[in-house]
Amino acid sequence: MKNPIAKKSIVGVISAALIAAFTVVLPSTASAADGCTDQNVIVGTKLVGFEKCTGVDGIGSKYEIRMPEKFNGMLFLYSHGLRNEVTIPVLPVLNETGKPITANREPEVGPNETVNEALLSQGYAIAGVGGRINGWAVPEVVESNLYLILMARDMYPKINKVVSWGDSLGGHISQSLSEKYGVIDATANIHMAGSAPSQYAYGGDILWLLKTYFDPTIKGGNYTQPAYAGDTRGYFEFLGDVQKLLVLLNALSTSIAANPVTPAWPATATTAPAALQGIPVRSAILLIGLLAGIPTQSKTYDASSGPAGALETTFGVAISPAVATLENIGRAIEFIVAVYDTEMKCGGGIYDNTKTDYATRIGDNSDVFAAALSGKSAIAGMLAFLNPLNPAAPRFKSSDASLACLASQSAYSGKITIPTITLSQTADPITPPGYVQKLKNDYDDYVSQGKTKSGLLLNIWQKTPDQYTVFNGLAAVSVPSTKATAGTNHSPFNNDQLLMLAKMIASSAKSGKLPSMATAKKAINNDNSLFIDPDYTPTLLPQEAN
Amino acid sequence: MIRNSRAKRFSVVSTAVIAAALTLSTLPAQAADPGVTASEIKLGYSGPLTGSAGLVYGKLPGGMKAYFDHINANGGVYGRKINLIIKDDKYLPTLAATQTTNLVLRDNVFALVGALGTPTHTKAYAAASLAKKNVPDLFVNTGFSGFANKSKYPTAFMVLPSYAMEAKIIAKFIKDTPALAPQASFLIAQDDEFGVDGINGFKLGGHTFTAAPTLYPQNGLSAALAEGALTKLSAVPGKPILILFGTTDTTATILKAAEKLDLVSKFTWLAGSVGGDANTLLALGVKPATINGALAASFFPDAKDSTDPYVSEFMKINAKYNTGVSFDNTVLQGMNSAMLTVQALRAAGKNLTRAGVMKAIESKGASFASAGLVPLNYSATSRVGYNGYWFGQLNEKGELKPYGGKLAVFTTDSSSTEAPTASTYVRKTVPKNGVPTNS
Repeated sequence: MKNPIAKKSIVGVISAALIAAFTVVLPSTASAADGCTDQNVIVGTKLVGFEKCTGVDGIGSKYEIRMPEKFNGMLFLYSHGLRNEVTIPVLPVLNETGKPITANREPEVGPNETVNEALLSQGYAIAGVGGRINGWAVPEVVESNLYLILMARDMYPKINKVVSWGDSLGGHISQSLSEKYGVIDATANIHMAGSAPSQYAYGGDILWLLKTYFDPTIKGGNYTQPAYAGDTRGYFEFLGDVQKLLVLLNALSTSIAANPVTPAWPATATTAPAALQGIPVRSAILLIGLLAGIPTQSKTYDASSGPAGALETTFGVAISPAVATLENIGRAIEFIVAVYDTEMKCGGGIYDNTKTDYATRIGDNSDVFAAALSGKSAIAGMLAFLNPLNPAAPRFKSSDASLACLASQSAYSGKITIPTITLSQTADPITPPGYVQKLKNDYDDYVSQGKTKSGLLLNIWQKTPDQYTVFNGLAAVSVPSTKATAGTNHSPFNNDQLLMLAKMIASSAKSGKLPSMATAKKAINNDNSLFIDPDYTPTLLPQEAN
Repeated sequence: MIRNSRAKRFSVVSTAVIAAALTLSTLPAQAADPGVTASEIKLGYSGPLTGSAGLVYGKLPGGMKAYFDHINANGGVYGRKINLIIKDDKYLPTLAATQTTNLVLRDNVFALVGALGTPTHTKAYAAASLAKKNVPDLFVNTGFSGFANKSKYPTAFMVLPSYAMEAKIIAKFIKDTPALAPQASFLIAQDDEFGVDGINGFKLGGHTFTAAPTLYPQNGLSAALAEGALTKLSAVPGKPILILFGTTDTTATILKAAEKLDLVSKFTWLAGSVGGDANTLLALGVKPATINGALAASFFPDAKDSTDPYVSEFMKINAKYNTGVSFDNTVLQGMNSAMLTVQALRAAGKNLTRAGVMKAIESKGASFASAGLVPLNYSATSRVGYNGYWFGQLNEKGELKPYGGKLAVFTTDSSSTEAPTASTYVRKTVPKNGVPTNS
């Protein structure tokens, strides 16, 4: 089913300028047709017929297009989130499926089948690709997405509008595609990822801080590059890190459970001096979170409640933000897979904190969380340990070449020229809200410089419930992994929210402008977890602000 | 099927065409400020009502509400009734951010009033975008001098004197008091912006402690730690001065530790204004004999002094509108903040706007009537509220009487090494019936 057309990168051939100026000729669409079948699906009481076409594009990515019989002229192009390139063996947290997870290269045409079918039933065509390579493969997927649009338009000339949307890294890809080529009419970015350097610095900071305070034997990156075919040294270093991190997170969790007020440091913290270990380890965990930019609310812990009784205030002030951070670290640690994949792609370490001044990152948080951090003196002591002159806290150095490679994996700048809607969570530990704020700031800069128009970016936020931690005596009741707490955990948005977003962005694609503020607010009015507030200004990630 | 398998060519929408099709999204028309109608002014308060801080400060919003009810019963502010919406943040920063955001976005309050706590309000101010929304943040109940930074908190107005001012004046008081000056002195302080501000003030005031301060995180001083610290200090000869620069619950913990160790008479106790409320200390189980003779600083008249015209007026209002709640320093503080708020709203005029009320405080706030025995310092460039203290001595009833029998008020600033000066401030007469008529 491989398309015999263009074997080489089409990006070099089709620039935005060329697209704007010329009609491009495809030699054949025969192979695409080879993968098409007629299908039906029942949506509610409605039988929806559509044609499903699959294949492999000219640069090796699988694609899928579903075209409804009653097509309304608009195509929704979906970009999925980060996938692993490296094989992940069965491991707690990372892979609990019971079998190794190999690279999945199958295309996704939308967030889930229910949403996909709902869009089809409304007359929208849907499409997506599975990247030819996984990991942080933004340039490659942008290229494949462009290819897919060109091909779809050739196959279905009635396509007159294209909406791009995506989730997590897919949000980054969607934004990149919309900025880079003039082929998108409106874009919607869900849980939108930040730039590659920022996201990897976020992950790198978490790993380095965990290593530095709690276990110096963790490598945290810079895994050995293969020197020959089948060289697995780096792979096993990576797996070793995963194992150590899981042991560490378990030790920290156990310590806090045993003594929430003054939990001890883990036995692996061999370089932390006794004075440092005199500080409750929960304070060090919280400090790691604040220095890296991890939200202080998680799926289970709201930083706003305590068990009834004497510990109520202490738990809410000092313990809850720390255990929330720990829970979020447990979620964010999955990013180590992306670190490994991108290091292999870029040929070396992709994190460098040789110039990072962690002490300046604490800012107002040293006032807000003074009690949770065990006071100003403890904060000073913990920060002093991170001083670059401390031999027990060696900084992480990467080559200019691998860092340049990483930088090349980002593809958006904030120069928004079409209606763009983001849907994000205020306490997302994978793509914290500061990334969307950065996009907003960058866009505002372009507007103020007269390089683009204002009024093209709408940010919709999902917040946490006011208070949600449930206690059983002194212990918090963990939220089951299957149950989402609004605003947290990078958890998927529900179908009503996704379809609301789809409706809003489809309308924007048709009109060429965003809905009015009143219309947008009315659209989310029935969902208490969502809000729109142009003044809401989440803190930039410290890696962005530095 | 509509797929066109014959098509060999396709056109791509040009960027030029897309760009041409784009128009600006509709922007909302300029609307009146939220929270004000012809008949109502909606105000919001976020602070601790429950939890350990609620025990100490929980009566504050009730005092404010009682005063506003009194104003409403007397015609409101230019005919508008004040509706105070009260939220419990339990003194938790994240919950304070949530509650403040809810007040602004969900309840659409016109302004915040009396927000309490440095960590809580620091987080809440940013989270609720008070600066961007231009929400007046009236009479913030914290002594952290940072809130007077107009560039960082452009809509905030402090009311309490700063911790640094208090420390400078304590330093002068010790230096000028013959019975105290020769004694060793020690500081037990909260290890956060509260203590840091205070330590900085002591340095500015030229006071040197006998040993490095004993610092503890908020809520972090257990009875055992307090006993350990007192035992260590008890070896110091003479009658050392022990300055307690923390919240009232911690002051209670330390004093009860002293009772247990029979060390009450060993020290001269000097409690900062935040931690020296006698009623709360007694309510927390400190013995009357323990507080008898303790030194404390205040900028208000004593809440038990019913001869004071302001206290007397507020007591009447409390009895009528805050039924069953005993009148104390916290209620006094709440009512005083409410009275300042009413004057600010009046000074802004009948056409009430957020910008207008802030401008009114800057231009007229220094002349507002208030229970404080020290001046207010609002101006176009100053967000400082009160700027001074007087010293008193508690008796067993919890009454604070001027030290040496004569009221001596001192004023100062938060940042200079200039010595505090004796105040000549003459307080304005309490408005008739407690209802301001300013404009």
